[in-house]
Amino acid sequence: MELPLHCKLFLDVHLIPDSADVISAVEFSQSGEFLATGDKGGRVVIFQREPQGEYNVYSTFQSHEPEFDYLKSLEIEEKINKIRWLPQLNSAHFLLTTNDKTIKLWKVSERDKRPEGYNLKDEEGRMKDISKITSLQVPVLRPMDLLVEASLRRVFANAHAYHINSISINSDCETYLSADDLRINLWNLDITDRSFNIVDLKPENMEELSEVITVAEFHPHHCHLMAFSSSTGTTRLCDMRSRALCDQHAKLFEEAVDPANRSFFSEIISSVSDVKFSHSGRYLLTRDYLSAKVWDLNMENKPIETYQVHDYLRSKLCTLYESDCIFDKFECAWNGTDSVIMTGAYNNFFRMFDRASRRDVTLEASREVCKRRAVLRPRRVCVGRKKRESDVSVDSLDFRKKILHTAWHPTDNIIAIAASNNLYIFQDRHINRVFSKTFWAVFLVHSSLNLYTI
Amino acid sequence: MEYKVEAHRIMSISLGKIYNSRVQRGGIKLHKNLLVSLVLRSARQVYLSDYYGGVCLNAQHVEAKEWELMDGDQEKLIPASEESLPSTTACDQTEAAEVPEAPQPEETDSSLAVEGPEDPCEAVEGPEDTSSTEPQAEQESSSSVDSTCDVSVPSPVVSEPQCEAKQATVSSLDCETDANLAMSAEGNSHQPPKAHSCSNRKRSAEKKASHGSPVKRTKVTSSNADEEEAEEMDTSNVSNLITIFGSSFSGLLSKDNSEPEAETDESDSGSGQICCDQMLKNLNPWNTAIVAF
Repeated sequence: MELPLHCKLFLDVHLIPDSADVISAVEFSQSGEFLATGDKGGRVVIFQREPQGEYNVYSTFQSHEPEFDYLKSLEIEEKINKIRWLPQLNSAHFLLTTNDKTIKLWKVSERDKRPEGYNLKDEEGRMKDISKITSLQVPVLRPMDLLVEASLRRVFANAHAYHINSISINSDCETYLSADDLRINLWNLDITDRSFNIVDLKPENMEELSEVITVAEFHPHHCHLMAFSSSTGTTRLCDMRSRALCDQHAKLFEEAVDPANRSFFSEIISSVSDVKFSHSGRYLLTRDYLSAKVWDLNMENKPIETYQVHDYLRSKLCTLYESDCIFDKFECAWNGTDSVIMTGAYNNFFRMFDRASRRDVTLEASREVCKRRAVLRPRRVCVGRKKRESDVSVDSLDFRKKILHTAWHPTDNIIAIAASNNLYIFQDRHINRVFSKTFWAVFLVHSSLNLYTI
Repeated sequence: MEYKVEAHRIMSISLGKIYNSRVQRGGIKLHKNLLVSLVLRSARQVYLSDYYGGVCLNAQHVEAKEWELMDGDQEKLIPASEESLPSTTACDQTEAAEVPEAPQPEETDSSLAVEGPEDPCEAVEGPEDTSSTEPQAEQESSSSVDSTCDVSVPSPVVSEPQCEAKQATVSSLDCETDANLAMSAEGNSHQPPKAHSCSNRKRSAEKKASHGSPVKRTKVTSSNADEEEAEEMDTSNVSNLITIFGSSFSGLLSKDNSEPEAETDESDSGSGQICCDQMLKNLNPWNTAIVAF
């Protein structure tokens, strides 16, 4: 059963992977009122949830610019790698954005009043002729059209020799960590000229390098706990109380690799591409190339749940290696109640897994199927013959269309999916609906380029 | 041998990726290059898995020579390496046995020696591999890919230390001769500085030293490279490596003398493919380099 279709709300899609509009980061604010996206061109677009429930553009600003490292003769990309919101303390909103080398703290604030009636300046700001001023007046605040300003408040630079891959704000709201390939640094949000190194994986002899850090995150409640994952497929939990340098882990989460599945590419596909603590803080969600695993923090030797995202790719690893697709880093997400996990895949598919019922669904985020207020139909990928007309065979998957970045609203069933340079926001029609129905309504479709309403 | 073709293809692709990563915007990505290097190592081990046909017989014979070589001065390298040429020849012939174009009498001893320290696990499995099926061999060699195997697992093969030394020599010779199978006096015309620098690299990256040698030789054989051509390419090999990693090539440049730096300009000569072939002959310095940045 489908709802009547409304007009689409976005522009043409440019499926050029190198386009500066390709979305590279998606993050809901802590309350879910705002959604921030970052793209390859260093731009950040913030959406705000309207009272009716729709998300509209709230602010756009250029966060990072391309830079050049003269010492190493390297260009530093302006691509936004991660965005993290600070908990809201006052009327302004703060978020951290980072590219490969520099982290920035932005303040996004509204202005809906302006002072009028200056003594020395006129309405346009020009200086008045002093001889013509005959009386004094007190400027008054008058309402104006809402103006959203983004101002740069802090720049945390020159602390990372390697490419920054993650930032995570501590639950103490005072500190945050930034992680590059080999090191993790701890910062104070107010201090930009120094940071503490808490994890250092750089070997004495770089020739002995065997693993790099892929993602790092603070525990949602315990300010002393942080987790980081590595390219070898291990995830470590570190307690910052035990020692200043957390090279030694408190817990190591690693599952033994099944020797039957060994191939040339075993190491690559075991590399963890994303780590997320559950909202409860009890579980860890890790994503490697083919699967997503849920770990109980109390059990290190194996995950409590493993979800195969696209195991049918296991036989295609060589082709994916050639096309560099095997290096794609998929993110994952928990829903607000930690009962459902979500992650992206190829062909603009994304998958959701219900942990309790073990049911899963594959949905597609593309212009063809996503009309406004349409209900998404579950998709299926078949390895052999098509059983249904709507099935997609493995060989016809488009590997250029990948959903790497997904985000779930902290409390509601609203998800944001980034597919190339398009942002899709989906909402469950029935907020309290039990997941087993697996129908999601297309609530809104945006493009990060421009917006217009038809 | 399908898996060998596959392994070789994967090696070429991997080297191409490393080459291209140099010109990528944003600098070399450590994570991706590390993963590519792991794949390269896996493919190489599979490619050479057939070499583990026997025990390291000749290792003891050359042991004395090798240790002398290792402990001696750099200047001794040339005469010592000339001395070891026969053993190198034996080694090469062993690898040549793998290549269809140049069948040689089977001498698997030195092949095991070459691979020794890198894969003590594989050394154990060597005798088994000869009789095993291809997929099994592939699996076994793949299972010992983990580099931690080298460090943590005590080598069950007694002759491993000797193999290690031998391989260091062999590798240094590789550097000099650029892996020519027909070697005889060819190896004598080495450039002393290059040998010097090459051996330095090899010693510091002992574990990876064996990477270059057998692959290099086999590659040359299979491509029927001319002897002279191999020597000419030697220079550009290193220069290609240097240019590939550019200014962040600190680890390697510090050990090399100015010679490679001077040759940096003539680099970019070949396409990625040519470079692949060249690099296959010179895997060890590359391996050092890839992490040196």
